[in-house]
Amino acid sequence: MSNLRTEEFDINMGPHHPSTHGVCRLLLTMDGEKVVKVVPYIGYLHRAIEKICENRTYAMCIPILDRFEYVTAMSCNYVFSLAAERLSGIEVPERAEYLRVIMLELNRIASHLIFFGTTAMDIGALTPFLYALREREYIMDLFEMTCGQRLTYNYIRVGGVSKDIPNEFTPKCRETVATISDKVEEYKRLLNGNPIWKMRTIGVGKLDADLALAYGVSGPILRASGVDYDLRRDDPYSIYDRFDYNIPIYQNGDVYDRYMIRLDEIQESCKIVAQALDQIEDGPIRAKVSPNFKPAAGETYTRIENSRGEMGVYLVSDGTKKPFRVKARGGSYPHLQLLPEIATNCMIADLVAIFASFDVILPEVDR
Amino acid sequence: MLEYIKGFFELVKGLGITGKHLTKHAVTLQYPEEKDVMPERSRGVVVLLSDKEDGSLNCTSCLLCMKACPTAAIIIDAPRGEDKKKVLKKFELDFSLCCYCGLCEEACNFSALKLTGKYEYSTGNKDDLIWDVHKLQDVGRDVDYVDKRKKKVKKVAPKPTVSEATDEIKPTQSADKIETKPVEIKTDKIKTDKIETPQDKDEKPKTEGEA
Repeated sequence: MSNLRTEEFDINMGPHHPSTHGVCRLLLTMDGEKVVKVVPYIGYLHRAIEKICENRTYAMCIPILDRFEYVTAMSCNYVFSLAAERLSGIEVPERAEYLRVIMLELNRIASHLIFFGTTAMDIGALTPFLYALREREYIMDLFEMTCGQRLTYNYIRVGGVSKDIPNEFTPKCRETVATISDKVEEYKRLLNGNPIWKMRTIGVGKLDADLALAYGVSGPILRASGVDYDLRRDDPYSIYDRFDYNIPIYQNGDVYDRYMIRLDEIQESCKIVAQALDQIEDGPIRAKVSPNFKPAAGETYTRIENSRGEMGVYLVSDGTKKPFRVKARGGSYPHLQLLPEIATNCMIADLVAIFASFDVILPEVDR
Repeated sequence: MLEYIKGFFELVKGLGITGKHLTKHAVTLQYPEEKDVMPERSRGVVVLLSDKEDGSLNCTSCLLCMKACPTAAIIIDAPRGEDKKKVLKKFELDFSLCCYCGLCEEACNFSALKLTGKYEYSTGNKDDLIWDVHKLQDVGRDVDYVDKRKKKVKKVAPKPTVSEATDEIKPTQSADKIETKPVEIKTDKIKTDKIETPQDKDEKPKTEGEA
């Protein structure tokens, strides 16, 4: 039997594999069930968003950039508006800043809930997916009540926000945030001790801090590897310094830690929203900005902390009403790049777990 | 061994949480039979609004919505008539291009169009997604809105009125319109990926519309 020869073989995982979260094709070289080589192929969702923005006015760019990272479209709105405001020195009213923070954090919660549901489903637990999407629905209702849309909001504009919140928003939002905070405890009870879940996640896909920093990893994945880095605190924007919240840090950098850190972040975001609802005061919601808004000529790189890491916009203006260049930076691209590095020589089932724990979203990679 | 017993208890705990949900009501709706109430601000189908009193269109053909649209979904043709007033000859909205951003509604100063909570308009034919002025007006008849217009604008009587739209003349009118659909122009626009910005030419379209 010892002279039996085995051969490596190539298989395609994706582009329409349910656990690739979009359209990503992974070319796997397999030795039995062991992954010898992973090559991600991207570009299936390329829509030339950056080029489209060059032909549109600043107001028109925002609905286009909604599609850049549609799970947290509020962040896309915000980062572009912030870049344009920094170029032209527009002061945003106080109330608008609070509304922006509330929306950004609600969107972060919604995004992490999607992560929680899909990761659990990829690893084999279906129930969390149904629970997570049920809770996310409350947030979508809040967004729909405020700006009219559930996914592509076009809500945060240059100079403020488009509409004030309706009267029933505040009580409903408080209730939602409290519910979600409780539900996260329930999720933890459901999965954390589960022996199957622990076997599938603990020690799988270990990422150490040096490698993470070398690849430009950011956001929850970096913090799960023990690097204390959060742009909300380290490169302050908006009014995050007025809130009392913790930045959770985990040390092991495996799938389990990457899952835990996001559940903790949901609870921290709930705290921020609750505080913002307490502090918010009446006032104007938008600075005066003309529809044919022309920022001063110049360039800026603006970045914010998104649920998937650093989201940035490099904006070059030549003083006309259309941007000269828009470069959108998403957190997912470096994370996908990292996949061959840590998924080599693991089992194919672990590859799915690692890929899910990175929470890569393909529109952000392909743009 | 102890670990297995502990793991078993954790599994039972998880089952207990899912078991609790057995007694609760479903959060989903049986869609075609039950329908959710859309919020007031919901951004769905775009409709053209009519005057509450005489039923004529509020549109003054100022072209602001067309210029504000990021995907060039709105096409308006409004040549000047003999008395130098703009006549709304064509207003087409292509729902296969529309991204429901609501910028057209914000740009409009005359409450001429609105994004409503209507959403059931799927079709098997892509051409049916291009709605002309009559369809846009018919769908928007029952929509409530706050009139943004100033009182003095009321004396202007825009061309396609309700009587015209509902009369027997309607089929012939819309048939004419279908023939003059400039589909080629639209596809050109998409290919070159440029949006016409006539703002450069006429800086104050608002005053023109009011005239």
